[in-house]
Amino acid sequence: MNVIRAIQMYIDKMITDAGPGMKILMMDRETISIVSMAFAQSEMLQKEVFLFERLDSVRSNEKLKYLKCIVFIRPTKENIFMLQQELQSPKFGSYYIYFSNIIPRTDIKILAESDEGESVQDFKEIYADYLPVNPNLFSLHIPTCLQALNWNPEALERSTQGLISVLLSFKFRPAIRYRAGSTAAQTLAKKVHETINKETALFSFRPPEDGAAPPLLLILDRRDDPITPLLNQWTYQSMVHELLTINKQRVDLSRVAGVPKDLKEVVLSTEQDEFYANNLYANFGEIATTIKVLMDEFQKKANDQRKIESIADMKNFVETYPQFRKMSGTVTKHLVLISELSVQVGQQQLFEVSELEQEIACRADHSTQLQRVKRLVSEGKISAANALRLVLLYAMRYERHANCDTSGLLKLLQDRGGRSHIVPRMLEYISTVARQELFNTVKITDAVKLTRNLIKELKGVENVYAQHECVLKGTLEEVIKGRPLDAQYPIMGNEVPFRRPPAEVIVFIVGGATYEEALAVHRYNQEGCRIVLGGTTIHNSESFIEEVLAATVGVPFKHSRSLQQFHHAPAGTA
Amino acid sequence: MDNPFDIHDKDSASSGAFLLPTDSEILEGFLCPVCKRDLRTPERLTVHVEHEHSEEQDLLKSLKEIFSIARQGILKGKRKPTQQGGSGGGEGSEPSPPRYGTESGVVVGSAGTANNPLLQPGYNQPVGCTCEHMAYFRAVRGPRLERYAAETNKLIIRLDKLLDGLPVEPDQKKRHEQSKVPWIDGKLVKLCPTCAKSFGITRRQHHCRVCGSVMCDGCSRFLTLEEAGRLVNPTVISPAADGSATEIQPPGPPNESSHFRVCEHCMRLLLVRMEMQDWKRERPLLRQYYEALGRERTDIEPHIGMYRRILDSLYEGDVIYRLSDASTLREKIGRSAEKLDNVSKSLQTLRTAPGSREEALKKAIRLGCISYIKERMLSIPPLPVEEEIKRIQARKRAETERRLERERQLALEAFERLELQSGGGGSSGETGADRQNGSSSSSSTASTAEMTNGRYGAAVSTMDNWSGTQTHGPAAGTTSDPLIDQINIVKGYIRQARAALRFEEVATLERNLGELTQEFYYRQRLDTDTKQSEAP
Repeated sequence: MNVIRAIQMYIDKMITDAGPGMKILMMDRETISIVSMAFAQSEMLQKEVFLFERLDSVRSNEKLKYLKCIVFIRPTKENIFMLQQELQSPKFGSYYIYFSNIIPRTDIKILAESDEGESVQDFKEIYADYLPVNPNLFSLHIPTCLQALNWNPEALERSTQGLISVLLSFKFRPAIRYRAGSTAAQTLAKKVHETINKETALFSFRPPEDGAAPPLLLILDRRDDPITPLLNQWTYQSMVHELLTINKQRVDLSRVAGVPKDLKEVVLSTEQDEFYANNLYANFGEIATTIKVLMDEFQKKANDQRKIESIADMKNFVETYPQFRKMSGTVTKHLVLISELSVQVGQQQLFEVSELEQEIACRADHSTQLQRVKRLVSEGKISAANALRLVLLYAMRYERHANCDTSGLLKLLQDRGGRSHIVPRMLEYISTVARQELFNTVKITDAVKLTRNLIKELKGVENVYAQHECVLKGTLEEVIKGRPLDAQYPIMGNEVPFRRPPAEVIVFIVGGATYEEALAVHRYNQEGCRIVLGGTTIHNSESFIEEVLAATVGVPFKHSRSLQQFHHAPAGTA
Repeated sequence: MDNPFDIHDKDSASSGAFLLPTDSEILEGFLCPVCKRDLRTPERLTVHVEHEHSEEQDLLKSLKEIFSIARQGILKGKRKPTQQGGSGGGEGSEPSPPRYGTESGVVVGSAGTANNPLLQPGYNQPVGCTCEHMAYFRAVRGPRLERYAAETNKLIIRLDKLLDGLPVEPDQKKRHEQSKVPWIDGKLVKLCPTCAKSFGITRRQHHCRVCGSVMCDGCSRFLTLEEAGRLVNPTVISPAADGSATEIQPPGPPNESSHFRVCEHCMRLLLVRMEMQDWKRERPLLRQYYEALGRERTDIEPHIGMYRRILDSLYEGDVIYRLSDASTLREKIGRSAEKLDNVSKSLQTLRTAPGSREEALKKAIRLGCISYIKERMLSIPPLPVEEEIKRIQARKRAETERRLERERQLALEAFERLELQSGGGGSSGETGADRQNGSSSSSSTASTAEMTNGRYGAAVSTMDNWSGTQTHGPAAGTTSDPLIDQINIVKGYIRQARAALRFEEVATLERNLGELTQEFYYRQRLDTDTKQSEAP
């Protein structure tokens, strides 16, 4: 189960179906990202796709009848309309039309009636309707999906389509479970279930042999784990996203000082960058060592290159040149990234911040932690954003604590100009489940969980910066071990639940996944599980806070009445 | 020769498996790959597969392909024996049937492996689900297109009539037009059907010259006589009537004498038709260059793979290919890279409007070509050093010799043990059994030699259009032993194949040569053995 592979095979199929000859690929705003995350432009050139255009911003009316036009778009109303116009006055010789999702029959009819020049040669649905981020991680690129803690209708529609296409691209007809108590998860589960039942012809896959359990689609809610996206993580991909932001595989380095001109924007793709693929989940310490090794190797090669004395040497140089240049590109790129990361770590005092974050997330020790947070927030050595994160974590953990001093911390934060109004919004955002279970405010009655916690405390801490474990990890453990799920993760529809654990799991987090969770999935996959993670988007702390703000607009303050003076953002700020 | 027995046994076993995966007896002729019936002629076999196994479409396709290739090969092959003259009068017709047999064997092979996705290495993840809508699309589009086509054809027939003997003088022209196409009675039409404005003194009625309907001046379109002529007779290309003529409209209102007034509806139908005609004729330079690039690439691609294989084989210490083979192939790849570079460069120099789609296309093609040359052609590994290859080959030879020696030793020991067991009396029986053993295997090798004879004959001629012409001279009649003849013939083929850079064939032929020489030595030894055993 590899989402990148799935998309690549779909794109390959489109291109081979169009046959040999010069081709242009016509896409829309979203499919253009899907294609670019699966293949580099140079790879597309080798497949005879030479031009790339967007259906909604067509360059000119210039006609090139000897080109084959592959149209790969989402089945939206606007796209159908624009394609209709394109077909009425075709610019290219022939059209191969591929919709990335289920298209209504009436729309096919409209398009067929517009094709007066008989230029359409192929018309298919292929289900490449999601962004493949890592082999085990996909995103739908919906930055904010809730409004007043309920689905934004457009986001719900897009999420349903995205999940349907993921299922079809793997040929799964899954059992659907959702997190009990989350209306968003339940609504999405219901929509997906309805669509599967409506499109029986599409989902008529052979049931697994020997009565094995069907694949599982597990729909979770970000509101149940607001901690993970707020913590500073120390693995490569997470760090780059947290400190520099990865947007559809691209990292903008234009604000970083002293970056070479050709590295203003770098692409981080597991498909094209071997170093990145190997070190995605390596932690900060390891990666520094690895890049050192790579540097030495590179230097050695570079020195070899310098010793060009004879013609044979020269020839040798030319022959190894492509690999050499490729390697040098990789080395400089990652060197720039890593040095920038370490600059940031130093400037923001991230070691100190992270240690305290982990403390608050994992252990209850009110007075000491309050003192430390107070000190860090007031001292002003750490950035306002990091101060806010500490206060957020404190506020969530000690919400019900007798001596809770969130308002005191908020005053300190306000004095520094921090965005203190976010804290009450966060307290409204987190779900009841998170409130009760995340910080063990309710006495644990579950014996399994109790012993697990005990063992964890006895084992001690290996790495102070990576003590926290995301909620997803525990959830997956229960799924894989085949523990009864019905109470916490009820099944959608009236399918009889299977006793045995499923062979394949697709997890989808409403409200966005994180790279930290992708790491948890990766670890299970290394043990032989087959799990794919997806989310409405991939969050870092900044984008998560934006999501929280958008989701809680107009929500009455229930849990944070005591923080009334901080409810509204000070004038002039967002 | 490296251990001859080993290779020989393996090969005959695999050739049997190749022809017949399951049965033990050997079938020949036009075998149906599905039910194994012999259909005698290629036509009957094709018909049989069409009727009985219609579900195996790709099988049928490959069958037809094979026959067409085989036919070419055989036509060439038939010419050969006649050149050879009287030496093989019976041979001329005889070798053909086994060739057919091997051909249908190839059918089994190709249908079994090439089209089976399970046997293709690599991904275990299947391509995701797709949903086909073209059938429905066609069902909706078809009737509409037919109606349009019929309508357009009607208009073109009318245009033809209009153009036929068209007077130049406006009044006469109008009368001529009206006589060919019945005009609608203007009194019945109060409003312009296109813009829905009422007719009056300021807004006069006009008639479409091809369908006869009424519209106002503002809604009229004009078709030049030239365009009309081209529509009626698309094969005639007047030099002036290129794309430019349609774009540059004469300033002011087009005058009635050189144009036909047509309604919007008719104009659109005619324009669609015109575009289709133009496109069929169009063959721009850019496309021609691009096709040249494509041809060059498909030509050189197998050579690149072959070059790597030759290098691997050289580093393995095999003697099938020589270092010179690798170097000529390398040169060829280099020349081809140069040619690709040149063609794409001249493609780059084609004149295109700046900022146009065509210019972007041009750049992208050049970019793709450069990266292809870099990644596929310039990145091929360098030639190995001759001494190194020699060293590897010597080492390998030494190894095989050692192994042979060891085996001989083992066989000797086993023999001695056996002698000890059975005692002195059994020795004569032993040699008898040995001899029988030998002769039976020799007859089997003889039959495989014949088979391989047929097989490589096919191999030489089936590979796309290339066929080695038999060298005569030393082969014809100088030796009495047909085996030696055969060996010489194969050697001649190898020389030719090498000269033509057909390294696939070189490898096959070298293997055959190995088998033949092996067989030759074996017979010689058998002869001396029998002579020796007869002597005492």
